[in-house]
Amino acid sequence: MDFELLLGIGRFLLATTFLLLLTVPTAFVIIQMELKVIASMNLRVGPNRVGPGGLFQSTIHGFKVLAKEDTVPDQADRGTFTLAPWMVYMAAAMSMLVIPFAPGAIAADFNIGIVYFFAVLGLSVVGLLVAGWASYNKYSLLGGLRSAAQMVSYEIPLTLSIVGAVVLAGTLSFSELIAWQLEHGWLLIWQPIGLGIFYVSSLAEVNRTPFDMVEADSELVAGPFTEYSGMRFGFFFFAEYVALFIMSGILASLFFGGWLAPWPFPAQLGGFVGTLYGLFWFFLKTYLFVFVAVWLRATLPRVRVDQLMGVAWKVLLPLALVNLFITAIAVVVLDLK
Amino acid sequence: MAFPGIGIAKGMATTFRNFFAPKVTRFYPEQRPEIPDRWRGRLDLIYDPFGEHKCEVCFQCAQVCPVEAIDMSGFDSQGNRIRFGMPEIYDERKDANAYRRAGLPARPMRNPARWDEAVDTPWVDATIDAFNGRPEALVAIFRAVEDRYGYLPEQALRRISERMTIHWAQVFGAAGLGGFRLLPAPGHIVTVCDCAACRFAGGPALLAALEEELGIRAGETTRDGSVSLEVGSDVGAGSISPAIRVDTLVYGPLDAEKARHVVQERRRATAAAGSAR
Repeated sequence: MDFELLLGIGRFLLATTFLLLLTVPTAFVIIQMELKVIASMNLRVGPNRVGPGGLFQSTIHGFKVLAKEDTVPDQADRGTFTLAPWMVYMAAAMSMLVIPFAPGAIAADFNIGIVYFFAVLGLSVVGLLVAGWASYNKYSLLGGLRSAAQMVSYEIPLTLSIVGAVVLAGTLSFSELIAWQLEHGWLLIWQPIGLGIFYVSSLAEVNRTPFDMVEADSELVAGPFTEYSGMRFGFFFFAEYVALFIMSGILASLFFGGWLAPWPFPAQLGGFVGTLYGLFWFFLKTYLFVFVAVWLRATLPRVRVDQLMGVAWKVLLPLALVNLFITAIAVVVLDLK
Repeated sequence: MAFPGIGIAKGMATTFRNFFAPKVTRFYPEQRPEIPDRWRGRLDLIYDPFGEHKCEVCFQCAQVCPVEAIDMSGFDSQGNRIRFGMPEIYDERKDANAYRRAGLPARPMRNPARWDEAVDTPWVDATIDAFNGRPEALVAIFRAVEDRYGYLPEQALRRISERMTIHWAQVFGAAGLGGFRLLPAPGHIVTVCDCAACRFAGGPALLAALEEELGIRAGETTRDGSVSLEVGSDVGAGSISPAIRVDTLVYGPLDAEKARHVVQERRRATAAAGSAR
């Protein structure tokens, strides 16, 4: 064993552990944000008893879930029933590996980071399907199939909307993409259509309003999570919010310059200070988009399932293809490389 | 809707404005709503200590109800079934209290043991005479009787009814509504309200004060058996929290000092009655 390899393993373990631990406060913060922001938009005050100004409401909810009884239906397939929440959560947590938080703060800076990201994120569909199937409940199964249909449909425009940006920048690595944005300006101005498609699809992909039919709090029982209780349900719930964080982070990285400040990045800022500066901008942008998602949830009603599918296949997919063609032609004709 | 998406934009603008708008939430236990004096809350028939309705089928409520929302049926003093309101929705009232209040022979009481305990009739008469038999002194007379017996024995009530020529139903009703005990109890039961409103308003402080005052913990009875201390959420006095209930009377809003006073008074009265007996 040479020293380099050991160092690499140690670094990997440290990064993954840290990211896995990071998901928990992230979910707490976003849930708290959702409680308070939506309350504010409803002219309510929202949770205000637990901690100063109700600050610990979501945290206490999280610990409450731990204390709840964890029931498994008699006929359920115990193995897969247990595995499903884990799969969904891991899909969310694993995709955090490639999120570019700041210069020098990427757990794994793959040269195929974007491909890895979409591949791993797609795993959560499997988790939801497994959850629906293992519950031995026809409502769960239907919910699982619905969620699979939705997420698989939206993965296509979601991925295609990125291809334009990838063609333009000529890289599949997040850090290189951000470096490209530093040089040429944020992809927001190069790929506005791609941004629109990506945003709509990402909302559907992480089951946010107006595309939250998977859970549909007010109508379905809980979709594929019907039979889940206790911390198993907690994992699904957490994964949803972690996924929202990840999607917002990816949105910020791909189209809004990631860790870059809106004005030219001070070149002299290197090392630790530069990392902190990058972290600041990354989290600012990410939580801005989280706020927008929460804001959308306070505003929009849920769309119908046929509308959901129609938008994916009849609008977003053709639009994404057109965007890709235009980008490809422009790159060749204008020699943008 | 000329331009697609304009509706979404409008909605987003509304929610964003609301985000900064003043909030309408009222912080309930700290911030009390102003309740009009004549507000009586949800109307319900009140139960006596036997768990029977106190309604005497006198129709007064039905007659004065401006929207004619009240129907009832029961038995008059001749044993005839009487009704008020639409015939389709009559409910037969055949419980013991309805019979008894109507002057009919009632079925056996659930707890006949000491209900018609013999009372010191001359003493009751003397008590009534001390107030010159004035009907407005009824409650004061009840209080004197309860101080002596710890509750209002039926024989005493009957005697009061006869002596003061007040209808039996009125005497019984006044006794029940006034919060007097109609059954003997080992002692006074002091219940400190445990509802959310009372807890916020300082219920725990009341409990601590009473525990200190009585030298017992919640759920215990004093050595002399005169007072049992309980915690319960069924006091049902959210508007006057923090509240305590002594037997059937609810007191509130109280502070620790007032709560001590209420309990001291009750103990003193019971002790005096005990020594007189």
